[in-house]
Amino acid sequence: MIDIWNIVILQPVLNVLVLMTNVLGGSFGLAIIVLTIVINLILFPLRVRQTKSTKAMQTLQPKIQELQKKYAKDQQRLQQEMMKLYKEAGINPLGCIWPMLIQLPIWIALYQSIMQALGATPESLLNLSQHLYSWTAIGHAIPLNEQFLWLKLSQPDPNLILAILVGGTMWVQQKMVTPPATDPRQRSMTNLTTTMMPLMFGLFTLSFPSGLALYWAVSNIIGIIIQYVVSGGWGYLRAPAAPKTVPAPAQKVLPPPKASPAEQSKVLQQAKEESKTIKKASEEKKKGLFGR
Amino acid sequence: MTNFFKKNRKFLNLIPVLVILSLLVVGCSGPTFQGWSGITERDGFLYFGGIDGKVYAIALAARSQNQAFPSENEWVFTIPSSGAPGSVCGPACAPSSPAASIYATPVVLGDLVCVGVYAGNSGRVLAINRLNPGYTDGVPQRSKGEWTYPSGVKKMGAIVGTPVLINDVLYVGTSDGNLYAIETVYGESQWQFATSGKIWTAPAVENEAIYISNYNKKVFAVSNQGSTIWNTELPASVASSPALSTDTVFVGSFDNHLYALDLATGKEKWNFEGGNWFWSTPLLIGDTVYAGCLDNILYAINAGTGQEKWRFETNGPIVSPSISVDNFIIVASKIGDIYVVDSATGTLVRSIHIGSPVMSSMLVDGNTLYVHAGNFSIYAFNIDTGEKAWEFNYSSNE
Repeated sequence: MIDIWNIVILQPVLNVLVLMTNVLGGSFGLAIIVLTIVINLILFPLRVRQTKSTKAMQTLQPKIQELQKKYAKDQQRLQQEMMKLYKEAGINPLGCIWPMLIQLPIWIALYQSIMQALGATPESLLNLSQHLYSWTAIGHAIPLNEQFLWLKLSQPDPNLILAILVGGTMWVQQKMVTPPATDPRQRSMTNLTTTMMPLMFGLFTLSFPSGLALYWAVSNIIGIIIQYVVSGGWGYLRAPAAPKTVPAPAQKVLPPPKASPAEQSKVLQQAKEESKTIKKASEEKKKGLFGR
Repeated sequence: MTNFFKKNRKFLNLIPVLVILSLLVVGCSGPTFQGWSGITERDGFLYFGGIDGKVYAIALAARSQNQAFPSENEWVFTIPSSGAPGSVCGPACAPSSPAASIYATPVVLGDLVCVGVYAGNSGRVLAINRLNPGYTDGVPQRSKGEWTYPSGVKKMGAIVGTPVLINDVLYVGTSDGNLYAIETVYGESQWQFATSGKIWTAPAVENEAIYISNYNKKVFAVSNQGSTIWNTELPASVASSPALSTDTVFVGSFDNHLYALDLATGKEKWNFEGGNWFWSTPLLIGDTVYAGCLDNILYAINAGTGQEKWRFETNGPIVSPSISVDNFIIVASKIGDIYVVDSATGTLVRSIHIGSPVMSSMLVDGNTLYVHAGNFSIYAFNIDTGEKAWEFNYSSNE
């Protein structure tokens, strides 16, 4: 299993990274940036699909909340109604998960490649030899120059610059895609994703080789750009915070105002539009570049 | 939410956690160091640096009788900590390496055993009294002749290549790209020579000149006063320590080639292509160069022409330098097998299976072969029969 992973995924990414270093005048830092951009471009259709799926799901949220209130005591009916709603809107609820799962092995391979290519210790340099193709250009590039700007890519960044960059860009990216939650449990989970993740990665940056942190920072920046372009703005980054739902003890909880049939139809139409765009993009991809 | 979507939401929330965990697992299994020190023999004792970062002195007599360690005059010495991290990925990972590791084979000089230390970003040379180590709280005992270089707040790069001792001067190359000449009475630097490239190889000395290679594609001939005689740039970085004949320097490189350079001028005489890097130091016997390669093959090459004479395939990459005994070449694979090969024909005479990585220099004394393997063990084998005479496992001393 490890051999298959190495041959099919790790080695191609690793060798391209080393080759790119050679082509870019021996700058490993520049190679990390360029390869991260290239991989993001390759995965662009998947990321667009993922972003649009998420957006389409979010568009249906008011309708879903309404169904939840309506069928709070009949879970089976609720499930049927929700499935019906998704079907009508032409949305696959798992549509935003699969693109993410497909990308995951490539991110891990890129991550592993950066770790291995640095060959920071005698053991890792020896290990690297077993994963490189016997191409002249690759042999000439090894061992890689670990100096990039103020960074020593095999060592953590002694300054806080990279940690702030990684944490900050990740926070912006998370904030752009995460809608404000009304449910307290959901809100705590949302906070965990939007606050804890950037904080953790910021802390990791202080301990991990800066080559990896550079990759995280570039990935986040590209993610922000894609998100901005696809959703046409800063998304939920500019949205107001969700109102607190904890009512005063004597206060009567009022049911949410029912959407008018015209509004319901508008929401469904919007979700359908999102779904159509995804399908269209998928069909165009199937046709291929020359089929257009 | 229905169960179906509850499940999905949980799954969605789990993804970032999975990503973090995967990255941590991958990251923490990355750049760690353990060391692969070879063995030195003197006065019935073997000296070596353990994978646990400690220096050991073991008595041949006691080990052959399988006595409890340490027996009389045997010792284990813990390298004084210099606050170096145990792993390059820092506090986010559990340290999987000792604070200091030893790749270089210890060098014995009189009552001292000199050890090159690798501690990630820094290194040191420790001269330890081999009869009775006197270091107290990391400070050498001058009365016992001990010293540490560099002393005080001075720093030098990590040491991987074995130092060479010539006329009471220790020559050692380090990761900071400098070749140091250290006099061995007080442990003070005589001079240092900057090569502008990481040195992870051992120097070779011939006719009062020191030959050293670095990771900036350069091979240098340096006078014993620290001035350049010549330097040559190769197409790729140099992976192996240089081996010398009377008129040629042999080095292996990262472009899968073994290069023969003129000893006097540094000009290339010939090159030979293998299937991977030539990492281990080539061995020169008569007119033949025996070069172990990471493509699992031991090549026998005509030293004058660069023509291949024969090749012998092992079951793993060759990292440990090959050695010669009588008419045999002994070669070890990283997988953990040792082969005794006829030096004239490349025919296998016998093989010894250890089953644990062998990357350090082997030692032959009489008809006994000593091997330091990756399972925290020192093995003694009878070369004539291939049988194990004894084994010393030091993992319990961790």
